[in-house]
Amino acid sequence: MAGLKDNNSGQLIILSGFVLCFSLVALILLVNQTMITGYHSSNAVLEFPKHQIRDITSQTRESCVYMTELALDLNQSSNLSIDHNYRLLFDQYEQQMAMLYAGHGEQVTLDLSAMNLTSMATNTPNINTIWVNITYSNGMTYYSSEPEIIEVRP
Amino acid sequence: MDNKAQLQTLEGLGAALLITMTVVIITQSATVMTPQHEMMLDVQFEQMAYDALTLLDVAPSYAIGPNLTECVSAWDMKGATMDNSTLPLLDNALSLLLPGFLYNVDVSYVQNGTLITKNTILQGYPTEDAAVARRTVMLTNSTVTAAKGKWSLASDELQMVEVKLTVWQV
Repeated sequence: MAGLKDNNSGQLIILSGFVLCFSLVALILLVNQTMITGYHSSNAVLEFPKHQIRDITSQTRESCVYMTELALDLNQSSNLSIDHNYRLLFDQYEQQMAMLYAGHGEQVTLDLSAMNLTSMATNTPNINTIWVNITYSNGMTYYSSEPEIIEVRP
Repeated sequence: MDNKAQLQTLEGLGAALLITMTVVIITQSATVMTPQHEMMLDVQFEQMAYDALTLLDVAPSYAIGPNLTECVSAWDMKGATMDNSTLPLLDNALSLLLPGFLYNVDVSYVQNGTLITKNTILQGYPTEDAAVARRTVMLTNSTVTAAKGKWSLASDELQMVEVKLTVWQV
């Protein structure tokens, strides 16, 4: 160390050069890491099918409400029960949704697991609910909501 | 008085200033487009396309006029030709929501067990960085009758329709 202090012919300059080099290498590594982080986060957002899952769940919730109204209307114009009408409508909904999503390589299953529409027929103010099992898969992401409990009419 | 150290300090300061100025000027003047930046733009573009369809589907009619279900219900079942849309209500709404962009709209539906897809708005051929957004709507006899469309639906029949929006910029 004493030699370093006394000798001013370039050792300190070389040493500072090394320090600068290592600092620059460290900075470059950090910058590269942030770029890789940006790549992975953007890629994850693009690949994760959040829009499809939202579409299926929100459409199922919305359609269940419409199907209830339609089943009630059909019950008033025919002898068939609300439950029977509802199952017929739900079968159409399930088959068409599965086929539409299969058209772009995604699998959707919608299964009507239970329903409580009894108060609708008797006009009592109970809450009517539909229980639907929803599954979605695009080969990389699997989503399931079993059951999705949908309140269809107060 | 030894002024060697002072001169070296001044040189060091000068060099530091020079390096800092160079780095600042280069980073300010250069635009670097990496694949990551492109992907981030894709994410934003796709989100914008989905937002347009979602807004059209869920916004109340007093805010946007006819919603997505009403627009599709009013379809005359004919395919579109270039710049001759068969969903004029949807075309008007999208032109307001996506100014400066080109877009195509296809509808897909299941009829007698067969998946049918038709162009309803055709503005050109999408570029490779186009974004695609899809949304399904449910049509019934009452929605079609109210919109004066040409769908043939019985009172106990549902029609699920997928609206596919392809957006790109030139």
